[in-house]
Amino acid sequence: MKFNWFHLMPWPYLPPDFDDVEKFPSMSLTMSNSHFDPARGVELYHRYLDELEYADQLGYDGIVVNEHHQSGYGMMPSPNIMAAALARRTSRSRIMVLGNALPLRGNPLRVAEEIAMLDHLTNGRLVSGFVRGIGWEHYAHSVSPAESRSRFNEAHDLVKKAWTTPGPFEWYGEHYEYRYVNIWPRPLQSPHPPIAVPGAGSPETMRWVAENRYMYVSVYAPTRIVKTWFDGYRKAAADLGYEPDPDNIALATPLFIGEDDASAMREARSYVEWLFHRGLRQSAEIVFPPGYMSRPAMKGLLRSGMKPYPQIPFEELVEEGYVIVGGPETVRQRIADLRDELGFGQMMTMLAIGDMPAELVRRNTELFAREVMPHFRPASAPAELAQA
Amino acid sequence: MSQTAQEPGTVPASRMEMGSGSISLFRAGAGDPVLFLHAAGGAGEWNPFHQRLSERFDLIAPDHPGFGLSDDLPEVGTVDDLVYHYLDVLDRLELDRVDLVGASFGGWVAAALAVHSPERFRKIVLMAPVGLRVPEAPVADLFILTPPQLVRALFSDPAMVEAVLGVQPGVDDILRSYRDMGALARYGWRPFLNDPKLERRLRRVSAPTRVVAAEHDAIVPRLHCERYAAGIPGAQLVVVPDCGHALYGERPDAVAATVIDFLTD
Repeated sequence: MKFNWFHLMPWPYLPPDFDDVEKFPSMSLTMSNSHFDPARGVELYHRYLDELEYADQLGYDGIVVNEHHQSGYGMMPSPNIMAAALARRTSRSRIMVLGNALPLRGNPLRVAEEIAMLDHLTNGRLVSGFVRGIGWEHYAHSVSPAESRSRFNEAHDLVKKAWTTPGPFEWYGEHYEYRYVNIWPRPLQSPHPPIAVPGAGSPETMRWVAENRYMYVSVYAPTRIVKTWFDGYRKAAADLGYEPDPDNIALATPLFIGEDDASAMREARSYVEWLFHRGLRQSAEIVFPPGYMSRPAMKGLLRSGMKPYPQIPFEELVEEGYVIVGGPETVRQRIADLRDELGFGQMMTMLAIGDMPAELVRRNTELFAREVMPHFRPASAPAELAQA
Repeated sequence: MSQTAQEPGTVPASRMEMGSGSISLFRAGAGDPVLFLHAAGGAGEWNPFHQRLSERFDLIAPDHPGFGLSDDLPEVGTVDDLVYHYLDVLDRLELDRVDLVGASFGGWVAAALAVHSPERFRKIVLMAPVGLRVPEAPVADLFILTPPQLVRALFSDPAMVEAVLGVQPGVDDILRSYRDMGALARYGWRPFLNDPKLERRLRRVSAPTRVVAAEHDAIVPRLHCERYAAGIPGAQLVVVPDCGHALYGERPDAVAATVIDFLTD
């Protein structure tokens, strides 16, 4: 099992009346950036990067950054900048960019170039995720959600060809046209950095990820739903005549580990509630704007019976498997059970949850590295860990 | 934009092969042909407004590609494409010249058609049309409104708002309106429900034109109707009182009357 440490880099300093949902329908898109304080921004970025570097030092297999726009939920409009900042301050973890939002790019060749550069800066430790961007980001960057999937597909094909086919070549597509594609540098990893793609149950995505043999990563959902996604991915692979490597199935989940179950539940509550009840407060219209979801995906969503996150109480978030909370023994057991039930080989653990203070993030990171990770590794691995 | 609950459809839709698939259209009545282009909502349903018009004219009311019962026709992705699509529809129906009526999004398509081929339209009615770039009075962001917000913005009569909101949509209803709005996003996400070039081209429209505004339009500000009326030579502006942007969904009789009066005058 591989463990990756995933940061969202949220803005924790919400206005005191943030729970007035008429005034603040969401932390994304419409919450005025007058609530952003640049002095605190400097502190936060450095603190958050320190946390990712700390995870590298503690032996996490990967450190993970992602992309969001115009939102206090996640403050990395450019994940590539964060990956660059981490590249020369870390040495062992894979740096996972999860991922570049391809449809939002006017010029996706820039993604091919930046990832190729990062592959060199990290000495081949880069994992390149590709995402469509959340619905609200199509408002934020003025890209039609109705074109989102076809832009994603074409941009992906272009980026991959730019990485793997000697240039110069020409590109004439529905969305993009280039007379000269000839990127310098080409990537270090051959044929290109590993590619990871998050999915939220869309059958098209499962099939596409399986066809390309990429890593499929879950997003916040109850265990029973994530199971249908991973099963769908394995089924799509089986239809293509292969069985996916468990390393290509990744469970992403917030995780809080305490000294024991009771204290963990007590301590985790407010941070988990911050994430799900405030960070993820958003209308269906901004998450799934018209045209963003295919009919089968929308139908699946409507039939899944999933409630909006803010309506799910903390206890239910834990029971249903949206988050993992507990003392060391419970967390170990829970991960083992989930692994057996879901069949994943990697975890994107979100150990900095919501507005958790820095010292608690460190404790969470340390406890998990010490109490949990060694149990899921080959016998030789814990010795390496100890040196960290 | 859903319409109010209406009497059940009495005219069956027919299909017509177009491009890579087919579209659905209603056709009923006798007399001069009228092409009616629907708004973002209301595709696929025969409503009292259609009924009134069909009692006086040969009414042709197609669903735009991607809306209602029409196929997506991936080759039709912009309003410019829709102009050629409807010219093809008229050719297919062997109609050299028709009266043209368009509502909201359909009003934009109607204006673009009239700019392109003014000689094919005898008279034109644009009802609360979008299509102009008016940064000082932008069209409400239809895509981001929640369903209750949208209904409140569409109708001016609170009783009608309550009546519409009182009906719980089923999964199929949600999927249908999600598809219609998705088609609208295809045609009008960016530029947002406008063509920056349209306004200076309106001078090409040669048919007598009536612009119909709703008195209480919370979606398309009055200035849009005024700019259309100012830009189209000789156009007149009339206002339907006690009515929201839904227009023929809210006051079908009054709206049909102003359309019929103008076309038969």
